[in-house]
Amino acid sequence: MAQVSYRKIAKSYGAVEVMRDVELDIADGEFAVLLGSSGCGKTTLLRMTAGLETITAGDLMIGGARVNDRPPKDRDIAMVFQNYALYPTMKVFENIAFSLRVKKAPEAEVKRKVGAAAEVLNLTDYLDRYPRELSGGQRQRVAMGRAMVRDAEVFLFDEPLSNLDAKLRAHMRVEIRQLHDRQGATTIYVTHDQIEAMTMADKIVLMKGGKVEQVGTPDELYDRPVSKYAADFVGSPSMNFIEGEIGEREGAPIFLAEGVAAPLPAPMARHLGRRTIAGLRPSDLHPAENGAVQGTLTLAEKTGADQNLHVRAAGVDIVSTAPRNFQVRQGQHIALAIPPERVHLFDAATERRLGA
Amino acid sequence: MIVQSRSRAAARAVLAWGVVALFVFPLFFWITVAFKEAREIFDLPPRLANFTPTLNNFNEVFGLSLGGNLVGGGNFNMGPRLWDSIVIAVFSTLLAVTIATLASYALSRMKFRARHHYVSWVLSTRMMPPVAVAIPMFFIYKDIGLLDSYLGVILIHAVMNLPLAVLLMKSFFDDIPLEIDESAVIDGASRWYIFRRVVLPMAKGGIAATAVLCFIFSWTEFLFVLTLTQTGLKTVPVVSSTFVTSTGTAWGNMAALGVAAMAPAFLFVLLVQKQLVRGLTLGSLKQ
Ligand SMILES: Nc1ncnc2c1ncn2[C@@H]1O[C@H](COP(=O)(O)OP(=O)(O)OP(=O)(O)O)[C@@H](O)[C@H]1O
Ligand SMILES: [Mg+2]
Repeated sequence: MAQVSYRKIAKSYGAVEVMRDVELDIADGEFAVLLGSSGCGKTTLLRMTAGLETITAGDLMIGGARVNDRPPKDRDIAMVFQNYALYPTMKVFENIAFSLRVKKAPEAEVKRKVGAAAEVLNLTDYLDRYPRELSGGQRQRVAMGRAMVRDAEVFLFDEPLSNLDAKLRAHMRVEIRQLHDRQGATTIYVTHDQIEAMTMADKIVLMKGGKVEQVGTPDELYDRPVSKYAADFVGSPSMNFIEGEIGEREGAPIFLAEGVAAPLPAPMARHLGRRTIAGLRPSDLHPAENGAVQGTLTLAEKTGADQNLHVRAAGVDIVSTAPRNFQVRQGQHIALAIPPERVHLFDAATERRLGA
Repeated sequence: MIVQSRSRAAARAVLAWGVVALFVFPLFFWITVAFKEAREIFDLPPRLANFTPTLNNFNEVFGLSLGGNLVGGGNFNMGPRLWDSIVIAVFSTLLAVTIATLASYALSRMKFRARHHYVSWVLSTRMMPPVAVAIPMFFIYKDIGLLDSYLGVILIHAVMNLPLAVLLMKSFFDDIPLEIDESAVIDGASRWYIFRRVVLPMAKGGIAATAVLCFIFSWTEFLFVLTLTQTGLKTVPVVSSTFVTSTGTAWGNMAALGVAAMAPAFLFVLLVQKQLVRGLTLGSLKQ
């Protein structure tokens, strides 16, 4: 059992506080993804979990025991680093076998485990090569293999795919997730790529400036972002934001901005007159006569399956996803409609989500 | 190889060989002197190839008798001095490199109080001119019985070499990414295990470079050997000076000794050079 819990974790480098009040529970066998922009403290949290960095305040619990002062080797953790940190003077086989050599495992066990890991990772033909003779994707897999033979309770991944090309990345996403499902170890995976987070995670931990912004399933983050930051981070293309006010029309609440009049669900009436930011997902906006958003088309981007329409409205660039056969010319007037329940509302001052 | 125009490539080659010739010529001339009779050495124009080669100089210096046509039993008997040089250079290099490697790994990786000042402290010991140290060392060595011994000279040469060796090795260790150590730590390896199995193999190039510098220093060092030894041992640079006498300088003999002395140093550098490969961390990290 390896539940990982963070209790009021804080981290300072000298006088600089980089992390504060992190409260987080990751269940045994869960695949948790730490998501956040560069510099928000993802690596720092991972390194504290591994024991490579001291914890300034708070308690870190693994499997119910406080491990703040436990050295890395006694935490039963395997880690894949942001750069792969392979041992350049050892061949692939010895790289993967490293932890087993340290333990002085019998030769037969080393062969079996390295062989099995290489099999899964498609590295069998490369065991006799040096890391410098491998491609980026192969190196990445060696780094994974080194962690796999560990049979650790907790796996930590620090942006392992960030330098791979898009295709390989999509492939490795599936591999890593399948690996997790097979081994069932608790996994904490760091990324700043929201697609990786959405596709792989059981639970997403969204971080901002050294604090946890939101914790939830991918669906929860997508459907009910707690703040403008969270809304902006998840989803591609990212959410459109329009600043305006909540008004009333024929007894029903409505979001009003220049060229925008979007009906809202009835309970929103209690925020009447409030300055708000409306968040509209491109996939929720579709072209329609008398739509809520009126503007002119500035650009239509083909993405293959559909097209992204860039519409100038309310003084900002609004993106909408439309079917690729939808015909509209540049400079033409266009209206976009959105179902009332799909409009996300955030307070203009605090940028927090407004509840119904 | 990047494509370049032929004429430029040719000009570059000519220039490069010119520079090489400039550096190699004195060496070449020195070697010819070792094989010349005394009267031919100062001939004008200098004889580069048109002289009668002789082994007389070597014979006199090392006391070899070759093929019976040379008079045996040289009067200088320098063979043992060459041996002294080799023993001292090899062991002082070993000592300096061992200590420097351990010390610089610690300085590069471990956290302890004032570690950032350590490097400058270590270096400061080399800021004094050696002459200032030599005389006090003579008295100290005399008292503790290290005078005129291999151990004494080996120690002083190693100590002289340490500051630069530490500085050099540290920069090599600093270039090895910390994540490599950390990854090994997480995999359960001890500090010593990491040092021996992971970091040391990666630092081979640095160790080789450091060893070459230490060896050359010890091989050519003059002052300490002169002051700290008497009759027990002498290294080549010191005995070379004995060819300069009040009645004249034995140029041929000096050159012969010099040529003989170049051989071990050359061999050592050649052996070590193989390790001087760059880019040892290649392939460890994402590019
Ligand atoms: N040794 C250090 N001393 C001082 N500040 C540090 C140190 N290491 C990290 N920081 C700061 O801590 C914050 C978090 O850094 P961290 O490396 O955890 O970010 P990250 O979320 O992993 O970013 P990225 O996505 O770029 O990898 C940053 O603002 C960084 O400047
Ligand atoms: Mg990071």
